[in-house]
Amino acid sequence: MSGSFTSIWLPLYGLFYMATCLYWARVAAVENRNTETFFSAGHQLAPWMAALMMAGASISGWFLLGGAAEIAHHGFALAAVLQGGIVLALPGVFFFKRMWFIGQRLRVSSQVELFRAYYQSDFLAVVSTLVAVLFALGFAAVQMRALAHLISHLTADMISPVQAAAFLSLVLFAYVAIGGMRAVGYLGALQSIFLAAAMAGFAAYALILTGGFAALNQGLRQLASTEGGAALFAVAGVIRFSAGLGRDLTAAPDATSVASLSLAFAFMGFQASPLAAKIILSTRNANGFAAGQTWVMAGFFGGLIAFGIAIIGAAGLINPNYSLAGVLGSLLQTSPWFMAWLVIGLVAGVQLLAGLALLTAGEALVRTIYKPYFHSALSRADTVNITRIVIGLLALAAVLMQFLTPVALSALAGVVLPLAFQLWTPLLGITWLRWFTRPAVVSGVGFGMAAVLLTEPLGYHILSFLGLELPWGRWPWTLHSAAWGMAANLTAVLLISAITNRRTQGEEAADVQAFIASTLKPAARVRRLTTTAWSVVLAWMFLAAGPGLIFGNTAFANIGMPSIWAWSGLFWLLGVAMIWFLSYAMDMASPLHREIEPYSPRPRLRRDQSMQEQRRLRILIITAAAAFVLIVLVNLSFGH
Amino acid sequence: MFSLRHVDRGLLVFSIWAVLGFLGLGFVLEGFSRGAYFMSLLGTGLIVAGFVAHIIVNFMCGGGFTSGEAALGVGSFGILALVFIIGWAGGTMPASNFYSGLTLFGVIILGFITYLTLRYGMRGAFSRFHGKTAPVRETRR
Repeated sequence: MSGSFTSIWLPLYGLFYMATCLYWARVAAVENRNTETFFSAGHQLAPWMAALMMAGASISGWFLLGGAAEIAHHGFALAAVLQGGIVLALPGVFFFKRMWFIGQRLRVSSQVELFRAYYQSDFLAVVSTLVAVLFALGFAAVQMRALAHLISHLTADMISPVQAAAFLSLVLFAYVAIGGMRAVGYLGALQSIFLAAAMAGFAAYALILTGGFAALNQGLRQLASTEGGAALFAVAGVIRFSAGLGRDLTAAPDATSVASLSLAFAFMGFQASPLAAKIILSTRNANGFAAGQTWVMAGFFGGLIAFGIAIIGAAGLINPNYSLAGVLGSLLQTSPWFMAWLVIGLVAGVQLLAGLALLTAGEALVRTIYKPYFHSALSRADTVNITRIVIGLLALAAVLMQFLTPVALSALAGVVLPLAFQLWTPLLGITWLRWFTRPAVVSGVGFGMAAVLLTEPLGYHILSFLGLELPWGRWPWTLHSAAWGMAANLTAVLLISAITNRRTQGEEAADVQAFIASTLKPAARVRRLTTTAWSVVLAWMFLAAGPGLIFGNTAFANIGMPSIWAWSGLFWLLGVAMIWFLSYAMDMASPLHREIEPYSPRPRLRRDQSMQEQRRLRILIITAAAAFVLIVLVNLSFGH
Repeated sequence: MFSLRHVDRGLLVFSIWAVLGFLGLGFVLEGFSRGAYFMSLLGTGLIVAGFVAHIIVNFMCGGGFTSGEAALGVGSFGILALVFIIGWAGGTMPASNFYSGLTLFGVIILGFITYLTLRYGMRGAFSRFHGKTAPVRETRR
């Protein structure tokens, strides 16, 4: 096909995608009717839509862009990547059903509101907002950057990366600002299907390129027999007491089994994030969580990761020309329409996450931070309009950061999932472990965040800027920062919960605990199975993503495919069974029909807050200015 | 019977055709451009899968094709058939493409008749096209 003919498909499909986004945004805006349902679609998103959207947002473009590249460059040693579908589904099984019931009881529609109502903690509200903003500015933006470069490469620089990023951001801003959460939900369901189809399409084409599954494994066997090749297919021991990336100069590999386990912890951050809470609290009922987590997330998308992403990565491993960009480049010559179709699937996956992140961050900043602290008299319509402006500013900032500060963008993206994982403790305190006290959870999250920052390049750069050099690098002892953070977080929570008074909780927290105890009381069958459930989860984590992975190095040595891949495939299947067991047999996510009486707080006198709000604003400005001056002074004195 | 709202149904139908329809049409065209019958057959299979999925959604929602969907489907079919006939009449169409086209249109026509027959019965299916009007009696002045 001629050059002009091949290059028309991508813009054509791009226009189709844009038209699709704008059409469904318009449908959503018409359904919204007014500004009342902008933030949570009137809590009327269909359960099937929420299930698809949750799975698509959890996967996003990361597994295609990052997961496949990880396998293509470092082999199968970091086996937790292949268990992505299961470890991403696990937090949802624990939290979603209870979170939805509590959300209905307290009539809240975001994680920030949930934390504020239950813990009455401004700190947790700010942390949740920060995580949402980091998802928008870091995690989603870094994927958008990769996508913009890919599109530029595929159009032979006819479209520059800046133009591609600007176009994608404009479409994103348009549909989020027009239709709000309803548009994000409608398009999220579509985008998830596009993403799944693209993942399957990439895998199928990678198999065709490599000559089929048998030929692909033959290539992997040949690679394993080369010098140093075996390390690509084996977990490098349980742990290595290294000083971390950037500090440890030995050539020993870092893909240990605890590296896998701690990476799995980081994956578990997504469904504890404010983004996941936004989807859950916008859903019509709790009937779809079990099916969504079991069959859509763990089953369908988990299978696509365990085999589809693995095939794409393995193809790139045996021949670098068969990497994701290589596959698209090859398709550009042979089937440009198919290449465009795959790229649109990838765009959809990235935009699904980015749109959700922008809306959640915009709402958190305006409706749950700015309005209650600084401008409580703001009307609903003004709140929505200011949120739209903030969403536009965030989208613009993300585009600027993609091209002006790519290093900072990458550093921000690196801390998002481990920081979100630190929100496990407040969520556990709300949903299951009511003996977690407010001071314990607040301190735990604070310590956890500090530990994450101290084991990631972001904290390392900040301290270096202020003249303090850490003696360790990124992920010391081959442990991901998510695990370091959770170690500090849990230690603080357990210690402080043991020594603080549990009876000082607020009225809302007391009501939630009574409500959970009466509404979601486990049946006798479930109580009998509790020990079994704990054992099953711990055994699965140990063998599929933890230290037991080293058995996978040799367990299936003679079945024609890498043993660790076969081990991961087996534990993906067992993982689906585990998620089913927890969701349905243990009733952790199973459907439940109950009328939920909303909580009515005691009537309180509303006072004029304007003076107090102005004072808060003054304090904020003065503190920010003082902090800025202090940072500059420290940098001038000690930094370099 | 499930109760799917209008928008839910629209989203499901849209996603079915955006994935299976586009992909199927792409494979049919790719098969034509390469003269590869089995590639076209794969595309035809995907389009049929799209129809089946659409009919399942219709069943779940307790309705049939909307008039807009029917118009779009018949219109697309007509344009594709016209392009195929013009290509065939030109006399340069390879045999593989001829059989690919026949398979595609044959499967669609057969599938359509089967659908109408199963849904409305033989007589009812005919009545879908044969609109009866009330008899008009001439009046004598």
